[in-house]
Amino acid sequence: MFTFNIRLWAIPLIFLSSHLAFAAPMGFEGSVMTMGDFNQNWREVGFNYAITSRDALGLTHLEFRSDDYKDKREIDTLNYTRLLSRWNSTDAQSNLWLFMGLGEVRGSANNQSIDSKVIASPGFQFDYETTRIYFATTHKLYRASNLNHDTTSIRAGFSFYEADYDQTQPWFILETKYTNQISDKIEVIPMLRLINKNIFVEGGVNNSGQPRLNFMYTF
Amino acid sequence: MKHLLLVVGLGLTLTSLNTFATPSYKVTTKGMVCSFCAQGIEKKMKALSETKDVYVDLKKRLVVVEVKEGLTLSQDVINKIIKDAGYGVQSIEVSEHPIEHIKSGMDK
Repeated sequence: MFTFNIRLWAIPLIFLSSHLAFAAPMGFEGSVMTMGDFNQNWREVGFNYAITSRDALGLTHLEFRSDDYKDKREIDTLNYTRLLSRWNSTDAQSNLWLFMGLGEVRGSANNQSIDSKVIASPGFQFDYETTRIYFATTHKLYRASNLNHDTTSIRAGFSFYEADYDQTQPWFILETKYTNQISDKIEVIPMLRLINKNIFVEGGVNNSGQPRLNFMYTF
Repeated sequence: MKHLLLVVGLGLTLTSLNTFATPSYKVTTKGMVCSFCAQGIEKKMKALSETKDVYVDLKKRLVVVEVKEGLTLSQDVINKIIKDAGYGVQSIEVSEHPIEHIKSGMDK
């Protein structure tokens, strides 16, 4: 049984909140962004606080496991997110993000418990967005002694129509994702994304038939 | 007749002064392509003591700030808020009309 050992600080996030590489991985200055990403083999909750419009500090709890359930990892990290560069044009925005994470990894390999280790999780994201088109590519390293769970994802999609500020905007998003040393499969997930001001919800089913749900809430 | 014209003229002048005393600032932005982006701008604009109301039109990339009666807002302040939030300013236009009028599309 894959148990989701929730840390105390993560409890409220379950109800509010994703993969930390959503549309924008941080909110506006002074805001708190809560995130949650749940599927059968990958569960992540986190939050960050935007110290400035370009810098955010946060905490993340992540659990993932192999397709045969024999390998499991639990990772807790303190994260720093930095908007390295933004390009604004009349109808588009693109960003280059830097992620820095440091924390602890625990878990099991072949059903044998492995010692707790220090893990580093730096990464980058580039995204491009208009009111109708979205593209993002994210590469995040998860490195500890003898562990390499680097994750790469590419997301692309379109919105069905332009929405007013107060309306819910629906998007179709297709994500491909690969995580090193945990699965040989490339996960492909078509999702429906709904955005209404500070609420962001995504749901879909991957190429293994597993449902996935993402939340993001900024306040 | 002279008195009537004087009263009408005075009335029009006062109305005109009153309108100009409560302008709205129509800010056309760059990069504001999602409601997530607009939130920060809306909050910062609303936090200004001069602000009466804020309206966001995502389709037009427009942020409209209506100020309280008798007050004005520096365009430098508007520029700074938008740029500090991470977005660009394409133009700032001062309108004589309140947000409701602009929302209705009559402010051309």
